[in-house]
Amino acid sequence: MDNSSPLVLCVDDETVGLRVRQMLLERAGYKVLTAVDGYSGLELFAAHPVDAVVLDYSMPGMHGGQVAEKMRQTKPKVPILLLSAYLDLPPEVTSLADVYMTKGEGAPALLDKLGNLIPTSSHQNR
Amino acid sequence: MEFILFKRTLRQVLLLPVVACLVLAGILVWQISGANATVGLIEESDLRIAHATLIEKLVVDEETGLRGYQTTSDPRFLQPYHDAEAPMQQAIAELQSMTRPGQQQLLINQFIQQHQSWHQTFAEPLISTIAAGGHATDVDLNLQGVDRMNAVRDSLKAITSAAEKSRKDRIALWRQQTRHILFLLIGMALAIGLLIGLFTRVRLQSAYASFQHQLDLQRQRTQELFESEQHLRTTLASIGDGVIVCDAEGHVQMMNLVAQDLTGWTESEAQNRPLEEVFHIVSELTRQPVENSAVRVQRLKRVVGVSQHTILLRKDGTEISVDDSGAPIRDAAGEITGIVMVFRDITLELKTRAALLANEKLAVAGRLAATIAHEIHNPLDSVANLLYLLQHEPKEEESKQFLQMAHTELARVTQISRAMLSLYRESSAPVSVNLKEMLDDLLLLMQRRFQILGVTVSTDLPPEIAVEGFPAELRQVFTNLIINAAEAAGQGGNVTVRVRPQPAVDTASDQAAEAGAIVEIIDNGPGISPENRSRIFQPFFTTKGQSGTGLGLWVSQGIIRKHAGTIDLDSRTEGPDHGATARVFLTSKPVIHLGGN
Repeated sequence: MDNSSPLVLCVDDETVGLRVRQMLLERAGYKVLTAVDGYSGLELFAAHPVDAVVLDYSMPGMHGGQVAEKMRQTKPKVPILLLSAYLDLPPEVTSLADVYMTKGEGAPALLDKLGNLIPTSSHQNR
Repeated sequence: MEFILFKRTLRQVLLLPVVACLVLAGILVWQISGANATVGLIEESDLRIAHATLIEKLVVDEETGLRGYQTTSDPRFLQPYHDAEAPMQQAIAELQSMTRPGQQQLLINQFIQQHQSWHQTFAEPLISTIAAGGHATDVDLNLQGVDRMNAVRDSLKAITSAAEKSRKDRIALWRQQTRHILFLLIGMALAIGLLIGLFTRVRLQSAYASFQHQLDLQRQRTQELFESEQHLRTTLASIGDGVIVCDAEGHVQMMNLVAQDLTGWTESEAQNRPLEEVFHIVSELTRQPVENSAVRVQRLKRVVGVSQHTILLRKDGTEISVDDSGAPIRDAAGEITGIVMVFRDITLELKTRAALLANEKLAVAGRLAATIAHEIHNPLDSVANLLYLLQHEPKEEESKQFLQMAHTELARVTQISRAMLSLYRESSAPVSVNLKEMLDDLLLLMQRRFQILGVTVSTDLPPEIAVEGFPAELRQVFTNLIINAAEAAGQGGNVTVRVRPQPAVDTASDQAAEAGAIVEIIDNGPGISPENRSRIFQPFFTTKGQSGTGLGLWVSQGIIRKHAGTIDLDSRTEGPDHGATARVFLTSKPVIHLGGN
């Protein structure tokens, strides 16, 4: 894994799912940071030059919509992929994210959509 | 008019004519006795005249005898003269005795004198002369004799004419008296008739006035009664429930329109028929005839409440669900004189209730559906990702790890789907329910919900506590109670779910006297305000706005009652230990009451 690998922040309270997703993304060539709730996710987001965020919606304390809103306030250009087990989230939540997908669509779909969000050549959002 | 007064009047009206007629009769008797006395006097006059006539005849006899003797000097001719002597004396004596002293007495004395004078101065000397052989042809003597006899005759005539005059006077008097009596009779009859008539008129008038007054009162009362009856009839007709009024024997006397509509019998058809025939009800569960409220009222002699689960068989054979209640009608002495039975069609209500129950069940399902989908999606996502990783040449060690993780995640999916299925699986008969297993399953399904709400759940669930019941329904109850507690506790709140056994208690007053278990769900939320506390078990009452159906606790209460258990909510709105405690008591071996709501 070289230094040019994009850095992705994964936020999910599902620890197993989070771990598997981390492994998946690392295999696909991303560097991955993980957080199990919105607060620690925002801390990592502020501290690291994150290229993209894979954000779970349903989390205790602060849901994905609220986390995305805070992220947009500090670094509005970092793409956010909102990932949820819920099938229909309200549009005011999904509009905050660049891409919205539901869990269970499969790993290829996730990698594909994430790949589209991050132009491999540029790291201008850091 | 008082009845006593009326009776007195009747007596007076009867007595007055009798008394008046008696008085009239008395007066008449008095008058008639006066007339009778006059008749006696007339008879006396007649007798005097008869005596005078007799005396006249005797005088003629004397004179005739004397003349014969004078002519013939034969003493045999003198016989009538002598024969007349004694009767003459007797007749004179009798005449004297019946004549009152006065003018007539004087006339009699005068006659006696004249007769004696004729006797002594003419008859006796003549007889003596002839007896001595002399001649009595002396003209002077004879003229003198004629004079004397004329005087006798005159005096006798005077007596007769006096007696006749007296008789005439007396007859006139009698006539006058008779006329008097007639006038008196007419006058008295008029007066008495008038008196009786006037008296009766006055009395009748007062009786009529009184009667009229009573009649007016009666009319007024009748009018009032009519209005009151119309009032009640209209009220009865306007009542939305069926009302049947029976006599004390349970025969139909009156039915309102709703009752006629519900039973299919018209009032005239049902009149005097036994209530069981018109209001034919059977048990919904057993189809056996049910004792109707009227019969129960007859038996128990008091108001009887609503009987449940009864079906009314209408006249046309159709059926409707009803509930009925009855009350006795008592007279002033407290005796039952009739029975009022009130009933209503609850078919729609029962259907609505069933629909509401089904709806609430779906609402509970809906409330969990999203979290359940989430619960399943999460492990499935992991499994899908793990499969992807496995497809892309993993190391052997990694493969093992991935497989293990996928296995674990799938087991989680299975567990969740099983818990979900059992939530809705309906059993037809009560079964043994392990409370720990059931509550653990529910908590698993709600785990995500707790996380989102930020609620910490702690449990105290001893194993092996079981009660009999319908598991799906009990799950519905506890899902409601636990979600309510979690929502009330809110972010950072705590919910405690605990179960403890409840041994049998002998105290009769203790409602939890039977052996069973108590499930408590305790939250540290704000508690329930007093104004809401009284309403939380009512249907359609919710504090959750659009997101609540307002049926959760109402349905829960129905289910717990059906399980012969109790449910109550304690609440503490102030102090550091604020929050609410839902406490459900379930008996180990309940007698299931169908239709707890």
